[in-house]
Amino acid sequence: MIATVVDWDAILQVIWVSLLAGVGVTAAYGFALLGSTRALQSGREGRLGGAISYAVVGVLGLAIVIGAIVFGIVILTGD
Amino acid sequence: MGSEIIVVIVVATALIFDFTNGFHDTANVVATSISTRAMPPRVAVGYASILNFVGAFISLEVAATVAKDVVSVNANSIGLLAVFSGLVGAIAWNLITWYFGLPSSSSHALIGGMVGAVFVAEGAENVFFQEGIIGKVMVPAIVAPVLAFIVGGLAIVFLYRITGRLRPGPVTGGFRFGQVISGGLLALAHGTNDAQKTMGVITLALVANGTIAEADFHVPDWVVISSAAAISLGTYVGGWRIIKTMGSRIHKMDAAQGFAAQGAGSTVILAASHVGFPLSTTHTISGAVIGSGAAKRLSAVRWGVAGNIVIAWILTLPAAAFIGGLTFLITRLFGTGAVGPIVVSAAILTGAAILFARRSREGVAPGVVPVTGSPPA
Repeated sequence: MIATVVDWDAILQVIWVSLLAGVGVTAAYGFALLGSTRALQSGREGRLGGAISYAVVGVLGLAIVIGAIVFGIVILTGD
Repeated sequence: MGSEIIVVIVVATALIFDFTNGFHDTANVVATSISTRAMPPRVAVGYASILNFVGAFISLEVAATVAKDVVSVNANSIGLLAVFSGLVGAIAWNLITWYFGLPSSSSHALIGGMVGAVFVAEGAENVFFQEGIIGKVMVPAIVAPVLAFIVGGLAIVFLYRITGRLRPGPVTGGFRFGQVISGGLLALAHGTNDAQKTMGVITLALVANGTIAEADFHVPDWVVISSAAAISLGTYVGGWRIIKTMGSRIHKMDAAQGFAAQGAGSTVILAASHVGFPLSTTHTISGAVIGSGAAKRLSAVRWGVAGNIVIAWILTLPAAAFIGGLTFLITRLFGTGAVGPIVVSAAILTGAAILFARRSREGVAPGVVPVTGSPPA
Protein backbone atom coordinates (compact mmCIF):
# COMPACT_ATOMS: atom_id res chain seq x y z
CA MET A 1 0.00 0.00 0.00
CA ILE A 2 2.79 2.42 0.96
CA ALA A 3 4.32 2.01 -2.48
CA THR A 4 1.22 3.49 -4.10
CA VAL A 5 0.39 6.33 -1.69
CA VAL A 6 3.86 7.83 -1.35
CA ASP A 7 5.04 10.41 -3.86
CA TRP A 8 8.33 8.64 -4.52
CA ASP A 9 9.37 11.23 -7.10
CA ALA A 10 9.24 13.90 -4.41
CA ILE A 11 11.05 11.67 -1.89
CA LEU A 12 13.78 10.87 -4.42
CA GLN A 13 14.07 14.56 -5.26
CA VAL A 14 14.60 15.38 -1.58
CA ILE A 15 17.21 12.60 -1.31
CA TRP A 16 19.32 13.53 -4.33
CA VAL A 17 19.09 17.27 -3.75
CA SER A 18 20.09 16.84 -0.10
CA LEU A 19 23.00 14.58 -0.95
CA LEU A 20 24.21 16.83 -3.75
CA ALA A 21 23.78 20.10 -1.88
CA GLY A 22 24.57 18.85 1.64
CA VAL A 23 27.68 16.88 0.74
CA GLY A 24 28.72 18.70 -2.45
CA VAL A 25 28.47 22.24 -1.16
CA THR A 26 30.10 21.30 2.14
CA ALA A 27 32.97 19.65 0.25
CA ALA A 28 33.23 22.71 -2.02
CA TYR A 29 33.60 24.88 1.08
CA GLY A 30 36.31 22.49 2.28
CA PHE A 31 38.14 23.03 -1.01
CA ALA A 32 37.70 26.80 -0.62
CA LEU A 33 39.42 26.54 2.78
CA LEU A 34 42.11 24.23 1.42
CA GLY A 35 42.78 26.51 -1.53
CA SER A 36 42.91 29.75 0.44
CA THR A 37 45.07 28.31 3.24
CA ARG A 38 47.55 26.66 0.89
CA ALA A 39 47.62 29.68 -1.43
CA LEU A 40 48.66 31.93 1.47
CA GLN A 41 51.23 29.39 2.61
CA SER A 42 52.69 29.00 -0.90
CA GLY A 43 52.77 32.77 -1.33
CA ARG A 44 54.71 33.17 1.93
CA GLU A 45 57.18 30.54 0.74
CA GLY A 46 57.60 32.33 -2.60
CA ARG A 47 56.04 29.56 -4.72
CA LEU A 48 54.00 31.74 -7.07
CA GLY A 49 52.76 28.89 -9.31
CA GLY A 50 51.51 26.90 -6.36
CA ALA A 51 49.90 29.98 -4.82
CA ILE A 52 48.00 30.75 -8.03
CA SER A 53 46.85 27.12 -8.44
CA TYR A 54 45.60 26.92 -4.88
CA ALA A 55 43.95 30.33 -5.16
CA VAL A 56 42.02 29.08 -8.20
CA VAL A 57 40.88 26.03 -6.20
CA GLY A 58 39.80 28.31 -3.36
CA VAL A 59 37.92 30.73 -5.58
CA LEU A 60 36.20 27.89 -7.45
CA GLY A 61 35.13 26.25 -4.19
CA LEU A 62 33.72 29.51 -2.88
CA ALA A 63 31.97 30.23 -6.21
CA ILE A 64 30.27 26.82 -6.05
CA VAL A 65 29.07 27.49 -2.50
CA ILE A 66 27.68 30.94 -3.30
CA GLY A 67 26.19 29.78 -6.61
CA ALA A 68 24.46 26.78 -4.99
CA ILE A 69 22.95 28.91 -2.20
CA VAL A 70 21.66 31.57 -4.62
CA PHE A 71 20.32 28.89 -6.98
CA GLY A 72 18.57 27.07 -4.13
CA ILE A 73 16.88 30.21 -2.83
CA VAL A 74 15.76 31.21 -6.33
CA ILE A 75 14.22 27.74 -6.81
CA LEU A 76 12.47 27.91 -3.42
CA THR A 77 11.06 31.39 -3.91
CA GLY A 78 9.63 30.26 -7.24
CA ASP A 79 7.19 27.93 -5.40
CA MET B 1 -20.67 36.89 15.11
CA GLY B 2 -20.02 33.64 17.05
CA SER B 3 -17.96 32.20 14.22
CA GLU B 4 -15.92 35.42 13.94
CA ILE B 5 -15.01 35.13 17.63
CA ILE B 6 -13.98 31.50 17.07
CA VAL B 7 -11.80 32.56 14.10
CA VAL B 8 -10.09 35.17 16.28
CA ILE B 9 -9.51 32.55 19.01
CA VAL B 10 -8.18 30.04 16.44
CA VAL B 11 -5.81 32.60 14.90
CA ALA B 12 -4.57 33.69 18.32
CA THR B 13 -4.11 30.04 19.40
CA ALA B 14 -2.27 29.21 16.17
CA LEU B 15 0.07 32.17 16.60
CA ILE B 16 0.74 31.20 20.22
CA PHE B 17 1.57 27.69 18.97
CA ASP B 18 3.87 29.24 16.37
CA PHE B 19 5.55 31.38 19.04
CA THR B 20 6.12 28.32 21.27
CA ASN B 21 7.50 26.45 18.26
CA GLY B 22 10.11 29.16 17.73
CA PHE B 23 10.73 29.37 21.49
CA HIS B 24 11.31 25.63 21.76
CA ASP B 25 13.33 25.23 18.57
CA THR B 26 15.79 28.09 19.10
CA ALA B 27 18.12 25.60 20.73
CA ASN B 28 18.19 23.39 17.66
CA VAL B 29 18.94 26.30 15.39
CA VAL B 30 21.58 28.19 17.36
CA ALA B 31 23.15 25.58 19.65
CA THR B 32 25.69 24.39 17.10
CA SER B 33 26.89 27.89 16.20
CA ILE B 34 27.22 28.85 19.86
CA SER B 35 28.89 25.65 21.02
CA THR B 36 31.61 25.95 18.38
CA ARG B 37 31.96 29.69 19.14
CA ALA B 38 31.15 30.56 15.56
CA MET B 39 28.95 33.35 16.89
CA PRO B 40 28.42 34.98 20.29
CA PRO B 41 25.09 33.83 21.78
CA ARG B 42 23.33 37.18 21.47
CA VAL B 43 24.34 37.57 17.84
CA ALA B 44 23.37 33.96 17.02
CA VAL B 45 19.92 34.37 18.54
CA GLY B 46 19.22 37.70 16.83
CA TYR B 47 20.50 36.38 13.52
CA ALA B 48 18.38 33.20 13.77
CA SER B 49 15.32 35.25 14.68
CA ILE B 50 15.68 37.50 11.63
CA LEU B 51 16.27 34.57 9.26
CA ASN B 52 13.33 32.66 10.75
CA PHE B 53 11.20 35.66 9.78
CA VAL B 54 12.66 35.84 6.27
CA GLY B 55 12.38 32.06 5.80
CA ALA B 56 8.64 32.14 6.33
CA PHE B 57 8.26 34.12 3.10
CA ILE B 58 10.18 31.93 0.69
CA SER B 59 7.71 29.11 0.07
CA LEU B 60 4.06 28.14 0.64
CA GLU B 61 4.16 24.47 -0.37
CA VAL B 62 4.10 23.14 3.20
CA ALA B 63 1.21 25.46 4.11
CA ALA B 64 -0.75 24.04 1.17
CA THR B 65 -0.03 20.47 2.31
CA VAL B 66 -1.20 21.17 5.87
CA ALA B 67 -4.32 23.02 4.72
CA LYS B 68 -5.41 20.71 1.88
CA ASP B 69 -3.70 17.33 1.83
CA VAL B 70 -3.85 16.03 5.41
CA VAL B 71 -7.43 16.86 6.42
CA SER B 72 -10.32 18.82 4.99
CA VAL B 73 -13.01 20.66 6.93
CA ASN B 74 -16.49 21.71 5.93
CA ALA B 75 -17.24 25.41 5.80
CA ASN B 76 -19.32 25.53 8.98
CA SER B 77 -18.94 25.99 12.73
CA ILE B 78 -18.14 22.29 13.26
CA GLY B 79 -15.16 22.60 10.90
CA LEU B 80 -13.98 25.69 12.75
CA LEU B 81 -14.29 23.95 16.13
CA ALA B 82 -12.33 21.01 14.71
CA VAL B 83 -9.42 23.28 13.74
CA PHE B 84 -9.48 24.87 17.18
CA SER B 85 -9.57 21.46 18.89
CA GLY B 86 -6.68 20.20 16.76
CA LEU B 87 -4.56 23.15 17.84
CA VAL B 88 -5.44 22.58 21.48
CA GLY B 89 -4.54 18.90 21.09
CA ALA B 90 -1.10 19.88 19.81
CA ILE B 91 -0.50 22.51 22.50
CA ALA B 92 -1.71 20.22 25.29
CA TRP B 93 0.56 17.38 24.12
CA ASN B 94 3.51 19.76 23.87
CA LEU B 95 2.84 21.00 27.42
CA ILE B 96 2.54 17.46 28.79
CA THR B 97 5.74 16.27 27.12
CA TRP B 98 7.56 19.43 28.18
CA TYR B 99 6.47 18.96 31.80
CA PHE B 100 7.40 15.30 32.00
CA GLY B 101 10.54 15.66 29.89
CA LEU B 102 9.26 13.30 27.19
CA PRO B 103 10.49 13.59 23.62
CA SER B 104 8.07 15.20 21.21
CA SER B 105 7.75 17.00 17.93
CA SER B 106 5.64 20.15 17.64
CA SER B 107 5.05 19.46 13.96
CA HIS B 108 3.81 15.92 14.50
CA ALA B 109 1.71 17.10 17.44
CA LEU B 110 0.06 19.73 15.25
CA ILE B 111 -0.76 17.25 12.52
CA GLY B 112 -1.86 14.59 15.03
CA GLY B 113 -4.12 17.08 16.80
CA MET B 114 -5.73 18.13 13.53
CA VAL B 115 -6.25 14.53 12.41
CA GLY B 116 -7.86 13.50 15.72
CA ALA B 117 -10.14 16.52 15.92
CA VAL B 118 -11.26 16.34 12.29
CA PHE B 119 -11.76 12.56 12.56
CA VAL B 120 -14.13 13.02 15.50
CA ALA B 121 -15.80 16.14 14.12
CA GLU B 122 -16.18 15.38 10.43
CA GLY B 123 -15.61 11.64 10.11
CA ALA B 124 -12.92 9.47 8.55
CA GLU B 125 -13.70 10.62 5.02
CA ASN B 126 -12.27 14.07 5.82
CA VAL B 127 -8.94 12.62 6.97
CA PHE B 128 -6.60 11.67 4.14
CA PHE B 129 -4.84 8.76 5.80
CA GLN B 130 -3.05 7.35 2.78
CA GLU B 131 -1.76 10.08 0.46
CA GLY B 132 -1.80 12.73 3.20
CA ILE B 133 -0.73 11.20 6.50
CA ILE B 134 1.30 8.23 5.29
CA GLY B 135 2.54 9.75 2.02
CA LYS B 136 3.28 13.31 3.08
CA VAL B 137 3.85 13.09 6.83
CA MET B 138 4.90 9.65 8.09
CA VAL B 139 7.23 8.49 5.33
CA PRO B 140 9.03 11.87 5.13
CA ALA B 141 9.18 11.84 8.96
CA ILE B 142 11.24 8.66 8.77
CA VAL B 143 13.25 9.55 5.66
CA ALA B 144 14.31 13.08 6.71
CA PRO B 145 16.27 12.37 9.93
CA VAL B 146 17.91 9.28 8.39
CA LEU B 147 18.85 11.29 5.30
CA ALA B 148 20.17 14.15 7.45
CA PHE B 149 22.21 11.59 9.42
CA ILE B 150 23.75 10.20 6.19
CA VAL B 151 24.37 13.65 4.66
CA GLY B 152 25.88 14.97 7.91
CA GLY B 153 28.11 11.89 8.19
CA LEU B 154 29.29 11.98 4.58
CA ALA B 155 29.87 15.73 4.72
CA ILE B 156 32.14 15.54 7.75
CA VAL B 157 34.08 12.59 6.26
CA PHE B 158 34.76 14.66 3.12
CA LEU B 159 35.64 17.76 5.14
CA TYR B 160 38.16 15.88 7.29
CA ARG B 161 39.70 14.32 4.18
CA ILE B 162 39.98 17.67 2.39
CA THR B 163 41.17 19.83 5.27
CA GLY B 164 42.66 17.24 7.66
CA ARG B 165 46.29 18.06 6.87
CA LEU B 166 45.95 21.81 7.19
CA ARG B 167 46.99 23.76 10.28
CA PRO B 168 44.06 23.71 12.72
CA GLY B 169 44.00 27.44 13.49
CA PRO B 170 43.03 28.89 10.09
CA VAL B 171 40.80 25.90 9.32
CA THR B 172 38.81 26.31 12.51
CA GLY B 173 38.45 30.02 11.76
CA GLY B 174 37.30 29.18 8.25
CA PHE B 175 34.69 26.72 9.47
CA ARG B 176 33.46 29.20 12.07
CA PHE B 177 32.94 31.70 9.27
CA GLY B 178 31.24 28.92 7.27
CA GLN B 179 28.89 28.37 10.18
CA VAL B 180 27.66 31.95 9.84
CA ILE B 181 26.40 30.86 6.41
CA SER B 182 25.23 27.35 7.34
CA GLY B 183 23.64 28.56 10.59
CA GLY B 184 21.80 31.25 8.63
CA LEU B 185 20.55 28.66 6.16
CA LEU B 186 19.38 26.45 9.01
CA ALA B 187 17.40 29.33 10.55
CA LEU B 188 15.98 30.12 7.12
CA ALA B 189 14.98 26.46 6.64
CA HIS B 190 13.40 26.30 10.09
CA GLY B 191 11.34 29.44 9.43
CA THR B 192 10.30 28.09 6.05
CA ASN B 193 9.02 24.69 7.19
CA ASP B 194 7.68 25.45 10.66
CA ALA B 195 6.00 28.81 10.10
CA GLN B 196 4.17 27.36 7.12
CA LYS B 197 2.46 24.77 9.30
CA THR B 198 0.82 27.57 11.26
CA MET B 199 -0.07 29.35 8.02
CA GLY B 200 -1.72 26.12 6.84
CA VAL B 201 -3.79 25.78 10.02
CA ILE B 202 -4.94 29.41 9.98
CA THR B 203 -5.85 29.07 6.31
CA LEU B 204 -7.78 25.89 7.14
CA ALA B 205 -9.73 27.88 9.75
CA LEU B 206 -10.47 30.59 7.17
CA VAL B 207 -11.77 27.88 4.80
CA ALA B 208 -13.97 26.49 7.60
CA ASN B 209 -15.27 29.99 8.27
CA GLY B 210 -16.06 30.51 4.57
CA THR B 211 -13.63 33.44 4.37
CA ILE B 212 -11.64 31.54 1.72
CA ALA B 213 -13.35 29.28 -0.82
CA GLU B 214 -11.79 25.80 -0.97
CA ALA B 215 -11.62 26.09 -4.77
CA ASP B 216 -9.73 29.38 -4.47
CA PHE B 217 -7.11 28.22 -1.97
CA HIS B 218 -4.49 30.80 -1.12
CA VAL B 219 -2.62 31.91 1.97
CA PRO B 220 -3.44 35.57 2.70
CA ASP B 221 -0.52 37.96 3.17
CA TRP B 222 -1.51 38.84 6.75
CA VAL B 223 -1.35 35.13 7.62
CA VAL B 224 2.19 34.87 6.21
CA ILE B 225 3.37 38.03 7.98
CA SER B 226 1.80 37.19 11.36
CA SER B 227 3.09 33.59 11.29
CA ALA B 228 6.58 34.81 10.35
CA ALA B 229 6.51 37.38 13.16
CA ALA B 230 5.28 34.86 15.76
CA ILE B 231 7.96 32.23 15.05
CA SER B 232 10.64 34.91 14.83
CA LEU B 233 9.63 36.43 18.16
CA GLY B 234 9.48 32.97 19.74
CA THR B 235 12.98 32.24 18.50
CA TYR B 236 14.26 35.52 19.95
CA VAL B 237 12.60 35.08 23.35
CA GLY B 238 13.55 31.40 23.52
CA GLY B 239 17.11 32.35 22.73
CA TRP B 240 17.53 34.24 25.98
CA ARG B 241 16.53 31.13 27.90
CA ILE B 242 19.09 29.15 25.88
CA ILE B 243 21.82 31.69 26.55
CA LYS B 244 21.23 31.25 30.28
CA THR B 245 21.36 27.45 30.20
CA MET B 246 23.92 27.06 27.44
CA GLY B 247 27.06 26.94 29.52
CA SER B 248 26.28 23.74 31.37
CA ARG B 249 24.22 21.81 28.89
CA ILE B 250 25.81 22.09 25.48
CA HIS B 251 28.79 19.95 24.71
CA LYS B 252 31.46 21.06 22.38
CA MET B 253 31.69 19.84 18.85
CA ASP B 254 34.34 21.08 16.48
CA ALA B 255 33.58 23.80 13.95
CA ALA B 256 33.81 21.42 10.97
CA GLN B 257 31.21 19.14 12.55
CA GLY B 258 28.96 22.12 13.28
CA PHE B 259 29.28 23.32 9.70
CA ALA B 260 28.54 19.83 8.30
CA ALA B 261 25.56 19.30 10.62
CA GLN B 262 24.01 22.67 9.87
CA GLY B 263 24.59 22.25 6.13
CA ALA B 264 23.02 18.77 6.16
CA GLY B 265 20.03 19.83 8.28
CA SER B 266 19.28 22.92 6.23
CA THR B 267 19.52 21.19 2.84
CA VAL B 268 17.19 18.35 3.89
CA ILE B 269 14.63 20.77 5.39
CA LEU B 270 14.77 23.16 2.43
CA ALA B 271 14.50 20.34 -0.13
CA ALA B 272 11.53 18.88 1.76
CA SER B 273 9.89 22.31 2.02
CA HIS B 274 10.21 22.70 -1.75
CA VAL B 275 8.06 19.59 -2.33
CA GLY B 276 5.66 20.45 0.53
CA PHE B 277 6.63 17.90 3.21
CA PRO B 278 5.89 19.16 6.73
CA LEU B 279 8.88 17.77 8.64
CA SER B 280 9.90 17.68 12.24
CA THR B 281 12.75 20.17 12.03
CA THR B 282 13.95 19.06 15.47
CA HIS B 283 14.32 15.44 14.36
CA THR B 284 16.01 16.43 11.12
CA ILE B 285 18.56 18.69 12.79
CA SER B 286 19.19 16.04 15.46
CA GLY B 287 19.77 13.45 12.72
CA ALA B 288 22.35 15.72 11.08
CA VAL B 289 24.15 16.42 14.37
CA ILE B 290 24.22 12.72 15.27
CA GLY B 291 25.50 11.88 11.77
CA SER B 292 28.34 14.37 11.93
CA GLY B 293 29.26 13.11 15.41
CA ALA B 294 29.01 9.42 14.52
CA ALA B 295 31.29 9.82 11.51
CA LYS B 296 34.04 11.12 13.78
CA ARG B 297 33.62 8.82 16.75
CA LEU B 298 30.66 6.54 17.43
CA SER B 299 31.10 6.81 21.19
CA ALA B 300 30.78 10.62 21.00
CA VAL B 301 27.12 10.30 20.15
CA ARG B 302 24.50 10.13 22.83
CA TRP B 303 22.48 7.39 21.19
CA GLY B 304 19.72 7.81 23.75
CA VAL B 305 18.68 10.93 21.85
CA ALA B 306 18.22 8.84 18.71
CA GLY B 307 16.08 6.46 20.76
CA ASN B 308 14.06 9.43 22.02
CA ILE B 309 13.35 10.46 18.44
CA VAL B 310 11.95 7.00 17.71
CA ILE B 311 9.77 7.16 20.83
CA ALA B 312 8.56 10.60 19.75
CA TRP B 313 7.67 9.22 16.33
CA ILE B 314 5.58 6.47 17.86
CA LEU B 315 3.89 8.51 20.59
CA THR B 316 3.24 11.99 19.27
CA LEU B 317 0.80 11.49 16.39
CA PRO B 318 -1.66 9.17 18.19
CA ALA B 319 -1.43 10.99 21.53
CA ALA B 320 -2.03 14.44 20.02
CA ALA B 321 -4.80 12.96 17.86
CA PHE B 322 -6.48 11.52 20.95
CA ILE B 323 -6.31 14.85 22.79
CA GLY B 324 -7.51 16.73 19.70
CA GLY B 325 -10.53 14.43 19.37
CA LEU B 326 -11.29 14.63 23.08
CA THR B 327 -11.01 18.43 23.00
CA PHE B 328 -13.55 18.57 20.18
CA LEU B 329 -16.02 16.48 22.20
CA ILE B 330 -15.54 18.74 25.24
CA THR B 331 -15.85 21.92 23.16
CA ARG B 332 -18.98 20.55 21.50
CA LEU B 333 -20.66 20.12 24.90
CA PHE B 334 -21.05 23.90 24.91
CA GLY B 335 -22.74 23.99 21.51
CA THR B 336 -21.33 25.30 18.24
CA GLY B 337 -20.75 28.90 19.32
CA ALA B 338 -17.81 30.66 20.88
CA VAL B 339 -18.50 29.51 24.46
CA GLY B 340 -16.76 26.14 24.03
CA PRO B 341 -13.50 27.59 22.62
CA ILE B 342 -13.49 30.31 25.31
CA VAL B 343 -13.93 27.76 28.12
CA VAL B 344 -11.34 25.36 26.65
CA SER B 345 -8.86 28.22 26.04
CA ALA B 346 -9.27 29.35 29.64
CA ALA B 347 -8.73 25.77 30.82
CA ILE B 348 -5.58 25.26 28.74
CA LEU B 349 -4.16 28.62 29.84
CA THR B 350 -4.82 27.73 33.47
CA GLY B 351 -3.26 24.29 32.97
CA ALA B 352 -0.21 25.85 31.31
CA ALA B 353 0.17 28.38 34.14
CA ILE B 354 -0.01 25.60 36.75
CA LEU B 355 2.58 23.48 34.92
CA PHE B 356 4.94 26.46 34.49
CA ALA B 357 4.55 27.40 38.15
CA ARG B 358 5.27 23.83 39.31
CA ARG B 359 8.29 23.60 37.02
CA SER B 360 9.59 26.94 38.28
CA ARG B 361 9.20 25.82 41.90
CA GLU B 362 11.09 22.62 41.12
CA GLY B 363 13.82 24.79 39.63
CA VAL B 364 14.27 22.62 36.57
CA ALA B 365 14.98 24.61 33.47
CA PRO B 366 14.07 22.73 30.34
CA GLY B 367 17.03 23.16 28.11
CA VAL B 368 19.02 21.87 25.27
CA VAL B 369 19.52 18.17 24.85
CA PRO B 370 22.98 17.62 23.47
CA VAL B 371 23.29 14.84 20.95
CA THR B 372 27.05 14.53 21.00
CA GLY B 373 29.56 14.61 23.78
CA SER B 374 29.34 13.19 27.26
CA PRO B 375 26.18 13.32 29.33
CA PRO B 376 25.80 16.42 31.49
CA ALA B 377 27.25 16.12 34.95
